[in-house]
Amino acid sequence: MRGRRWLMTFAVLLGTATACAAVAQEAERFEVRNAYVELVNGEWLLDVRLDVALAEAARQAFAEGVPLVLRLEIEASVERRLLPADEVVSMGRRWQLAYDAISERYVVTDVKAGTHVSHATQQEAFEALGRIGGTVIADTATLPEGRRFDMRVRATVEIGELPAAVRMLLFWRSWSRTTEWYAWQVRP
Amino acid sequence: MIRRWLPFVAGAGIVIWVTALVMLALTAEGPQRFGELYLAILLINVAGVVALLILIGGRLADFVRDWRKHVPGSRLRGRTLLMFGGLAIAPLLMVFTFSVLFLTRGIDGWFHAEVRQGLTDALGLSRAALDLRMREYLDRTLGIADRLAADSGVGLYFALDEELRNSDAEELIIASAGGQTVAYSRAGIQHALPEAPPEDLLMQLRQGRPHVSLQPAPGGGYQVRAATQLRESGGSRAHLVLIATYPVPQRLSDLAATVQQAYQQYGQLSYLREPLKAAFVLTLSLVLLMALLAAVYGALYFSERLVRPVQDLIAGTRAVAKGDFDTRLLRPSHDEIGYLVTSFNDMTKKLARAREEAERSQATVEAERAALAVILARLTSGVISLEPDLRVRVANQAAGVILGVDFEGAAGRPLAEVAAGHPLLAELHEVLQRHLESGDTEWREQVTLRTDSSRRELVCACTALPGDAGAQGLVLVFDEVTQLLQAQRQAAWGEVARRLAHEIRNPLTPIQLSAERMRRKLMRGLGAPEAELLERSTHTIVQQVEAMKQMVAAFSEYAKAPEMHISELDLSALVRQVADLYHAQDPRVAFGLSLDPKASLLEADPGRIRQLLNNLLTNSLEALDGQQNPVIMIETQRTGDQVALAVIDNGPGFQGGLLEQAFDPYVTSKPKGTGLGLAIVRRIVEEHGGTVEVDNAPQGGARVRILLPATAREARRAEGRREKA
Repeated sequence: MRGRRWLMTFAVLLGTATACAAVAQEAERFEVRNAYVELVNGEWLLDVRLDVALAEAARQAFAEGVPLVLRLEIEASVERRLLPADEVVSMGRRWQLAYDAISERYVVTDVKAGTHVSHATQQEAFEALGRIGGTVIADTATLPEGRRFDMRVRATVEIGELPAAVRMLLFWRSWSRTTEWYAWQVRP
Repeated sequence: MIRRWLPFVAGAGIVIWVTALVMLALTAEGPQRFGELYLAILLINVAGVVALLILIGGRLADFVRDWRKHVPGSRLRGRTLLMFGGLAIAPLLMVFTFSVLFLTRGIDGWFHAEVRQGLTDALGLSRAALDLRMREYLDRTLGIADRLAADSGVGLYFALDEELRNSDAEELIIASAGGQTVAYSRAGIQHALPEAPPEDLLMQLRQGRPHVSLQPAPGGGYQVRAATQLRESGGSRAHLVLIATYPVPQRLSDLAATVQQAYQQYGQLSYLREPLKAAFVLTLSLVLLMALLAAVYGALYFSERLVRPVQDLIAGTRAVAKGDFDTRLLRPSHDEIGYLVTSFNDMTKKLARAREEAERSQATVEAERAALAVILARLTSGVISLEPDLRVRVANQAAGVILGVDFEGAAGRPLAEVAAGHPLLAELHEVLQRHLESGDTEWREQVTLRTDSSRRELVCACTALPGDAGAQGLVLVFDEVTQLLQAQRQAAWGEVARRLAHEIRNPLTPIQLSAERMRRKLMRGLGAPEAELLERSTHTIVQQVEAMKQMVAAFSEYAKAPEMHISELDLSALVRQVADLYHAQDPRVAFGLSLDPKASLLEADPGRIRQLLNNLLTNSLEALDGQQNPVIMIETQRTGDQVALAVIDNGPGFQGGLLEQAFDPYVTSKPKGTGLGLAIVRRIVEEHGGTVEVDNAPQGGARVRILLPATAREARRAEGRREKA
């Protein structure tokens, strides 16, 4: 009798823990929704859509003025017979999302291009961050038009521009999330 | 090899560690600096901690092994280690505590409420200044929109350019309500189409409210965007909006950017505040750990260095205690420990020299002692050396023979204990004790020792052994003179006998002849009574003279020493022959013979041996006169090179003091005896080189025991000695 009661208690606790974990999973979501490439004027352009729903820790850090950084890793490889695949493209792009207290706007900066776009609300800014389009990844010289190749992308979002050592030291406070690789094959 | 490079490695490690500490101090400038240096600090300290842990582990293992094995000095090293460790660790912990306190306070100091408030105020001030500009630009935009209301078609585009030239705007855009650009005018070279207006702007305009906002400029700084609906004029320009972009003056823009940057950095700092404190504390803890480990290692190292000379000294002392005086220690330094080591080495040198001298002296003493032992062993005099408390130190063989004591193992035992069961020694001990009680340690005395069966005459001399602290004991030297005295007495009696024989024998014959002549001449002229008297008197004279002749003859026999005729004889046969003769003479006496066949062959003078047996049996028969069941036992036995002969009767035995003087002439208990029987027996035995003893048998009666050499060698020697005498 006593053993059954213990079993029930354990089952309740296990269920509660599972539910909490599920809620936490639902509250935080960061993944590649879809991605594709298209050939425009002899250049391969990448378009990626991300679901960005950050955890409370990241939102709190962002609210205190710590910028968020989004990194996108892009790889393209061509299969070869009897040999490992030839990785013809391996590149990364970075964007930074910061709050401008003077203008009271959220600014998304393309670090490489140096351009930025401001948004009135945080939600708009996150949505803008999740829309990555028109990124040139290669030209036809690198990736010929009639050739089949494999693409994969992965995104990482992390808190601020912390120095590496500080990030290593503050591992319990630093926050970052990385999506799974999103891979697809491009056929002619 | 490793030990040679160890100081250099340790020195390099210390330099690197100090560098890390300096770097740690530099990190206090801010998180950026901290970030740049932290990895190096961390790696240096982790490497140092690992290296120190390995070194400490090795030394601790050695220390624990020494402690468990009770290696000399390990306890001292443990105490020194505790002392050094305590002295080093306590201040380190104190410094650590205060450092953590200062660090956390320092970091907290970055985030004073006044600083945050100042930044917020600066932000507010900047916004207020920009708000003025924004309202001004909005008014200008509204004015432009009013003026553009009158234009349409191509005139609108020209009017737009005109307005751009007449205003501070850098861009004017006329767009549809959906955000599509209808017309635009921009200052400078126009490279690309303007961007689509943001949705929030269009939404606000659709609601009928003009829009003004501050935007971060693409090249840095800020710009003001103002927008409003264009009023309708005839319905052809329905839902058009005017969007104007004005640059914020450079000065104002820079100031605002500075405030924004400071505000952002402060936000980052606020976010990193607690982690930074934790990181500093962690780093400091790591440094402290390294310092502690260094202190522990230092304590281990210095305690070992400090204790090692002491350990060497202890080991050296133990070696010296075990007799190894060749132990020499290396002088570790020129301080007090070095002086101690030098003194120890001097001491061991002196001890080694002293031991060599002692060994030489001991060898000399041993040699002298061995020589003395040989001398003592060869001495015919008995020597007993005693401790002051009368414990036996040493006794020679002659002492044991004289006193009938085996002194083997008697060394160290009290003389009284050794004397137990040995009457002669016990009596000698009493004599010695008597002298000591009277305080006499130097004495010389002739001592007569008596037992139930014998008497020993000893000439004793006692002297105290000299020593630094009084008498170191006694030495008792004694000689047995029993036989010497007996020989002297015997020689004296022999002389007396010769004189008696010479002086008395001569007048006896005239006396006898005169008495017979007187009886013969006077007998006829006397009456019967007188004749009878004469007859009786002369008869008595003749009879007594005859007796005196016999006595003189006996004396003559005792005194003279005829030549010995040594030959082999059958002792058993001789004993049986003599025994039969005496049994025939007195049949009531029973003879018991126990004759050893091995004792039959004897080299001796048969006549003298027969006389010896005659004298012994005569004495026994006379002693058994009137005795009930008289028995005489005659026993022979071969013991080595000697033949033992014993004659035992069951008579009354020797009475009183007769036993001591049984061999003296004229000593007799019989009314008609001459007292020469046993004296002659003794002389015959001694002529044959043997010994004779008399005592009373345990079951009663007299017992005479004779030991004769089986061969004639001793007899011939005895004869030689007698002739010389």
